[in-house]
Amino acid sequence: MSVPGRRVLLTLLCLPGLLLVGTLPGHAFNATTLQLGTLQGEGWHAEGLQLQINLQDDNRARILLQAQSARLPEPLGRLTDLQLECAAAEVTAVRLDCPDGVLRLQSGQYAKQQIRARFGYRFTDKRLSFDLTGIRLLGGRLALRGEVATGEWQVDVEADGLSLPQLSTRLAAIGPAWPRLEGGGELALTAHLQGRAAALGRARFSLRLRSDSFTNAAGSLAGEDLEVRANGEARAIAGGWRLNLEASADRGRLYVEPLFIEVPDQAIQATARFDYQISNRQVTLHSSEYRHPGGVALAANGHIDLATGPLLRDLQVELQEGRLATLYGTYLRPWFAGTLVGELETKGQVTGELHWLAGELGRVKLDLADLSLRDRDGRFDLTGVDGRLRWSGDGTAEVSDLHWQGGSIYRVGLGLADLRVETTGKKARLVEPARIQVLDGELQLEKLELEIGEAAALRWQVDGILTPVSMQQLSLALGWPEFAGKLSGVIPAVRYDDGHLSVGGILLVRVFDGMITLSDVSLERPLGVIPRLQLDARITGIDLKALTGAFSFGRIEGRLDGRVDNLEMESWRPVAFDAAFTTPEGDKSRHRISQRAVDNISSIGGGGVGGVLSRSFLRFFKDFPYDRLGIRCRLENGVCDMGGVTPAPEVGGYYLVKGRLLPHLDVIGYADRVDWESLVAQIMAVTRQQNTVSE
Amino acid sequence: MKHLRIPVTLALLVFVAACVTINVYFPAEAAERAADRIIRDVYGQPVPQQPAPAEPQSLNDHLPAASPVPLLVLLDWLVTPAHAAADISVNTPAIRQLEAAMEKRHQQLAKYYTDGAVGMTQDGFITIRDQKLIALQDRNTVKGLVASENRDRNALYVEIAKANGHPEWETEIREIFARRWIDNAPSGWWYQSGKGGWKQK
Repeated sequence: MSVPGRRVLLTLLCLPGLLLVGTLPGHAFNATTLQLGTLQGEGWHAEGLQLQINLQDDNRARILLQAQSARLPEPLGRLTDLQLECAAAEVTAVRLDCPDGVLRLQSGQYAKQQIRARFGYRFTDKRLSFDLTGIRLLGGRLALRGEVATGEWQVDVEADGLSLPQLSTRLAAIGPAWPRLEGGGELALTAHLQGRAAALGRARFSLRLRSDSFTNAAGSLAGEDLEVRANGEARAIAGGWRLNLEASADRGRLYVEPLFIEVPDQAIQATARFDYQISNRQVTLHSSEYRHPGGVALAANGHIDLATGPLLRDLQVELQEGRLATLYGTYLRPWFAGTLVGELETKGQVTGELHWLAGELGRVKLDLADLSLRDRDGRFDLTGVDGRLRWSGDGTAEVSDLHWQGGSIYRVGLGLADLRVETTGKKARLVEPARIQVLDGELQLEKLELEIGEAAALRWQVDGILTPVSMQQLSLALGWPEFAGKLSGVIPAVRYDDGHLSVGGILLVRVFDGMITLSDVSLERPLGVIPRLQLDARITGIDLKALTGAFSFGRIEGRLDGRVDNLEMESWRPVAFDAAFTTPEGDKSRHRISQRAVDNISSIGGGGVGGVLSRSFLRFFKDFPYDRLGIRCRLENGVCDMGGVTPAPEVGGYYLVKGRLLPHLDVIGYADRVDWESLVAQIMAVTRQQNTVSE
Repeated sequence: MKHLRIPVTLALLVFVAACVTINVYFPAEAAERAADRIIRDVYGQPVPQQPAPAEPQSLNDHLPAASPVPLLVLLDWLVTPAHAAADISVNTPAIRQLEAAMEKRHQQLAKYYTDGAVGMTQDGFITIRDQKLIALQDRNTVKGLVASENRDRNALYVEIAKANGHPEWETEIREIFARRWIDNAPSGWWYQSGKGGWKQK
């Protein structure tokens, strides 16, 4: 035993003697004051100790123990002006008991305290037991009850009404990882701690947190109406701790940037069993579970590295239940904000496994059951999606299946699709040709190769065939006037490279009994803010009667050839092209243009002068023969450089329609440069008018 | 009675009235007017009246006094007059589409500007000033709106430069917009001051 300790012991041993002496008549010891100086023990020391004893009758004494300052193990820290006063201590040969004491002290951290202290000290085995109540701490109250003997101690803690902001500030001061919170919130805690000297050996705790609202300074961690319960056990092991924790959120809303979690009717629960090594900050996760009722259930175990290097050294996560609406809506969507899949409405179930190995995602296994994905911006949707997705990070080939029942891209309807894909590291390819129904035709993909390059840049290439799709359905889907005909094509090499889609082959459209071939088709940012389309087109043998019939423009009979070079469309509207349409050379078909068509062409000018025809004797002619017709326009910067089938130099214009025989009708245009937007607006106005006015 | 075999030639006269704008010098003042119009549209503020386009030329003005052609059908092409020589073009489909999207989004963002949760930056974009002023359940939505708005603004500046045939004007256009977004903003809205702090209008 240390020298100072012996001193105290001797003093206390003397007490019975003093009492005895005190009861002898003739002797009355009233007060004894002992200066004890400095005392220390394992993990603590006290200075300026002074003990005052007032002996009273029947084995009682008034004891006043004072110390100028004492330093105790953290978190108690440094205390000053200590005063332990026992009004009626009982002293026997065996023990000292203070049933009704008061402990006063000052503390930098804990302010001034006046604590009800009951304690007892047994001389034989130097066992101190104590019961302190009414400790004011962090806005609440704390009670400690415990025992200390030869350096070993255990304590039961009960705390109530601890303020969350004050607690967070205190914890933040100890370890910078704790967030500092503002707002409201109360914590109630019970715990049982055991240890030796300054070292905690074992702890069990149970706490309850209630908060109307709290937030950290940045607003990246915040809660409302929150009720959380947690309990756990910690045990010291070689080099660290073994912990067993359970927590449940019974009510409330929590924002942990970027996740917003609202507790449903049943509590969200999490458990974890893990070892923590202090020296190298390694966590060995034996098991853990997270359950969001009706939404997500996952389990995980592995190694987490909190020091340098990748966080997930190796981790196995099992997604036991994943209702996509919750899994995507609450947990995944915030990470995908701004991407193609950032605005989905989802249904269905996902289950699977994710493995991290040596810090990287090593294996993915996902099973999709009856998913439905719908883009809120209307760009695409898929329904009845089933699939088995398998991927290995180490380059092992894995086969995945994907199957859907229907869907659409923009408004083009898709039907059944069946895809079998083999993935090898960052590449994927079709195992066998895939068929995707499009409107009433089919897209047959012979070959698909996909690669994820640097910075998640996506590159893929597809060879395929589009079997005939009815133009009527396509034009309806795209909101155009109804066309008759078929679209089909061979598509060797559709290539997509980081936002740019290009078609290597030729698309054939059979429409209005003629043929349109589209070549050099390229599409930039197909699903982006402003998709840009470029292509060249050749038109042969269009039947004008069918064309003008579809547009209710008045009847023109004959054939039409044409070309559109360097067509550029932004957001599906033309911004540039070089186009020319004319009657084919040597065309032997019947060439007539109706009075109504002439009226319409002239009323495009807005003058309503078409009435001139019907006012003259020409009104007796319902249609007129023509030799050739044509129009040419080069659009650039909103202005159309116009021309006709042939120039009309004698009047400084150009022939749009060159007449023949009798009655001879020429339509001559004069404007060289025409405002494109206005022209389109007026053609639309005339066509719309025609559709409402029956003639 | 003589049969009048009159080859009737109908000629449709079209009058050229188109003017072509060629911008050689960057018209800063005109750019501000264009920016103001777009900004006021987006903010939903009343737009000062544009000068009305010239009336289509009436066909009577162009009837030749004595024409050898007995019947004339006159065709007027309506051509919008050339913009003033110092104006910049902001009237392409792409720009209109962006403007429409921004106008629609503004209706959702307006209250966050007023609350001070969202503020304007010095370089023509917006950012979250204090997310504590946004209800917990709306924080991610507002972040999404801010990101989409900034994406559209960026595309707008690029498109305006391109529409005028000068892609390299993008920086100046962005700078002009940066000033005009703040100047046109209602009082009470917040914007970043040059030194990294926030000021309120």
